[in-house]
Amino acid sequence: MTAYLASLMVFAGINVLLALGLNVVWGLGGMINLGLAGFFALGAYASALLSLRLGWPIPLACLAAVGIAAALGTVLAAVTARLKGDYLALVTLGFAQVIQLIAANERWLSNGTDGISGVPGPWRSVLSPMQFDLLCMALCWGLVVVCWAALTRLALSPFARVLRAMREDEMVAAVAGKRVLWFKIRAFALGTGVSGLAGSVYVHFNGYIAPDSLDVLLTLNVVLALTLGGTGRMAGAVIGALLLEALTEGSRFMGDVVPALSPVQVASLREAVIGGVLILVLRLRPQGLLPEASRPMNLEPNR
Amino acid sequence: MVITRRTALAVGLAAPFIRFARAADEPLRIGALCPLTGAGGQYGPSMVKVIQAAADEINQAGGIGGRQIAVTVADTQTNPDAGVAGAHKLIDVDRVSAVVGTWASAVTTAVAPLCWEAKVMLFTVSGADSITKLPHQGYIIRTQPNTRLQMTRATQFLIDNKAKRVFALAAQTPFAVDSYTRISEVMKAGGGEAIGQIIYDPKQTSFRSEIDRALGEKPDTLFLNAYAPDLAVLLRELYQAGYDGHRLTPGYAATPTVLSSLQPELTSGLWSFAPSPDLDSPAYATVRKILGTQNPDPYSCQVYDHVNMIALAVAKSGQTTGMAIHDSIRKVSQGSGREVHGATEGMKLLAAGTGVNYSGASGPCDFTPEGDIISCKFRFDEVEGGQPKLLSLS
Amino acid sequence: MEGAVLAVPAIGFNAVYAVLRFANFAVASIATIGAFAGWTANTALGWPIVPSLIAAFAVAGVAGVVADEAALRPLRSSGALTTTIASVALGIILENAVRFVFGNDPRGFDLAVHRDWRGFGLHAGPQQVQDAIAAIVAMAALFCFLAFTRAGKTMRAVADNPMLASLKGIDAVRIGRIANFVGLGLAGFGGMLVALDTQVDPLTGFRVLLSIFAAAVVGGLGSVPGAVMGAFLIGIGEEMSLLVLPATYRGAVGFLAILLMLSFRPAGLLGQRAS
Repeated sequence: MTAYLASLMVFAGINVLLALGLNVVWGLGGMINLGLAGFFALGAYASALLSLRLGWPIPLACLAAVGIAAALGTVLAAVTARLKGDYLALVTLGFAQVIQLIAANERWLSNGTDGISGVPGPWRSVLSPMQFDLLCMALCWGLVVVCWAALTRLALSPFARVLRAMREDEMVAAVAGKRVLWFKIRAFALGTGVSGLAGSVYVHFNGYIAPDSLDVLLTLNVVLALTLGGTGRMAGAVIGALLLEALTEGSRFMGDVVPALSPVQVASLREAVIGGVLILVLRLRPQGLLPEASRPMNLEPNR
Repeated sequence: MVITRRTALAVGLAAPFIRFARAADEPLRIGALCPLTGAGGQYGPSMVKVIQAAADEINQAGGIGGRQIAVTVADTQTNPDAGVAGAHKLIDVDRVSAVVGTWASAVTTAVAPLCWEAKVMLFTVSGADSITKLPHQGYIIRTQPNTRLQMTRATQFLIDNKAKRVFALAAQTPFAVDSYTRISEVMKAGGGEAIGQIIYDPKQTSFRSEIDRALGEKPDTLFLNAYAPDLAVLLRELYQAGYDGHRLTPGYAATPTVLSSLQPELTSGLWSFAPSPDLDSPAYATVRKILGTQNPDPYSCQVYDHVNMIALAVAKSGQTTGMAIHDSIRKVSQGSGREVHGATEGMKLLAAGTGVNYSGASGPCDFTPEGDIISCKFRFDEVEGGQPKLLSLS
Repeated sequence: MEGAVLAVPAIGFNAVYAVLRFANFAVASIATIGAFAGWTANTALGWPIVPSLIAAFAVAGVAGVVADEAALRPLRSSGALTTTIASVALGIILENAVRFVFGNDPRGFDLAVHRDWRGFGLHAGPQQVQDAIAAIVAMAALFCFLAFTRAGKTMRAVADNPMLASLKGIDAVRIGRIANFVGLGLAGFGGMLVALDTQVDPLTGFRVLLSIFAAAVVGGLGSVPGAVMGAFLIGIGEEMSLLVLPATYRGAVGFLAILLMLSFRPAGLLGQRAS
């Protein structure tokens, strides 16, 4: 059972990283990025290929994964510079779908729908499964703490203040002499880099990645986590992700409570519950549990 | 775990457990990792039924020297991602010594590293050549003939039936490329030609462009290397495109569900090939009884043999770990011992100090050092009026 | 051919956008619901194609209105982005409701299978031609509705100028419901057409989601004729992409189209709204 809990904690940590990444872009910068799954995928595949096919040591592969995700985040930011609101949502969602398409079709690169298996994990072959899970948990949460601390400091910096100003009213920020595009790009690169990190951690822990792992549900989960916890504050992202993990694990036992349901039905119930909770939260407490101190958080840039 | 819906599902199969841990000793834990849903969903449930029945049979006869067998089930959904999640659970949480019954080659390929790294034996029914070529250090045993053997026999059948120009439409799998290579070799040796292959994503809902390109090459035979869902679409669209030549498909794709869901004119004349179980074996008769059918599928026959061989290996070595099974498996599955068709029968002999050679429902169960079976029989059918009719068996 | 089929849900999407001013991601699941409704009518009740299509429209329309009232209308005051995010969640709920009832396995309709007609080196399936005709009929019906009926004209008024419309005492909520019924009903109709061409399963609508958006965006969000034009352009674009890209990348065409259009002409080809 301990091994199971440990692996649960690892996945929780990965979700926290994803929530933190989204928070930089959306919470601070007000730019909706529904393409999270795509950057997660980039990080995971890059890390897998570099460590498995080219034999790079894991930490190096991880760094490269972050870099690749950030680089593509930069490109996406530049290309979508003038888009806002639901337009941006549409395009970023489309981006994630294209990444999934590429992963499924470019067999020479990604092994197609079979996925890449046997990805090395830190000392996986010498540790027992239990020890490996515990080690991964420690490493993962170590990374989470580092990112959390760094991003919290960032949230207090002048950089973040500019981002928030842009979020509220881009025109004013531009008039105040800030190069809006450059700020946007940096925020995106940072956020997507962290998402790539999450992907890298996932693939080294799980040992396997496939296009099917990249679901719209993944993105929705992270959006829910941020909505639950409150966008803007990093602590909100963490709390939201953990709460969401608890909700998902709790709903797993739904299958036990109603034994007449088939596995497919249990799975669909659980997904529907997540969607339902998101809608409820949006209705009842859209600012989340830990809203930004300065003003009640809402999702629209307006004044 | 929150990452994917499939991951969540596979791990969520916590409810249906069967534990017979009555003996003071640690039970022998076996994981049944089968496709209960998805493209292989036709076979998973009966495979699980046979695995559990085989374990019951042994337990009721006293177990393995008093030790009971405990079976835990997980659904791969015929999807490598869910398969990996299921394997994690079976290995990390349920602590199984052996995983039995992975069906789709992609699932087996994804799950295999987890098994050999944790020193858990993997018994699979998947056919892709690449599986036994992995660095599994002896932790993979498969009772399904590998792709090379299958394609050799299938293509020979085509040559015997006067095929000259074969085009392959293949679902994206680990064995698609290897299959075509072998088909080309055998066609050439037989005076014909393999004129091309298109590999498609099985999740597509329409294959019109692929079919157009294939038919543009003017084949007289199409090899449809598909799974059941895409086979149904291919057959319908081939009919619409006006194709009247021969079609050959693996038996696991031409399932009764597919055949009954399509109009008879779409499937008439379709050839299928499949490895055949050992019809004369007492073990085969037992599987028939368990499933209550005259024609059990080859996979259910294979997993019956898996469980029995595991039991014999544990009896031989005296220990239940995956490593113990790994070291003893070939001492009970082949060699100069007395031929037995069931674990209970074999354990009596082992207790008396005699060697055994298990021969099961799926065939002689003799394995190469890489884990492949050495030989087996094949059957060829033609569909008529929505039903397969046996053409030949050898 | 494909353009015609795509046009129907694209029009529905744009009609909803025109009146309610947000991108409704649940349109994919509504299309799936329509497909299953039509399939049930066809296989369980034995109805032929046309009544089944009407069933698809009606069930999807009702489901769309109910879902909107329950989940989305209360959020509209919070803004378009919030409502859009909620519509993503709603889409997931609806898709899983379908999966809960019907499972994941693909189903086929109870219809005769025909060989394609061949000529001049091309071939067309009778089924595809039928679908195109059905789509055109649906579009014509919508056009008549918008041009000649009171409800339709009121919808257009609200779409064109919501401020003025409310000043004139038009009940925005009622019009919203009509827009949802018509728009999402069309999505369901289109969903069944797509399913006739491919298969019926919980992901039927989701697979064409990106193409629907692309058609709507290219034509101009909120513009009904724009959606038709956009759909045909996207349909043609996807077919032509086969010359350069492998067939499996067709979805990428939609994405590219959206990106290009939004970057250079966010109003789309025929749209009036620029934001």
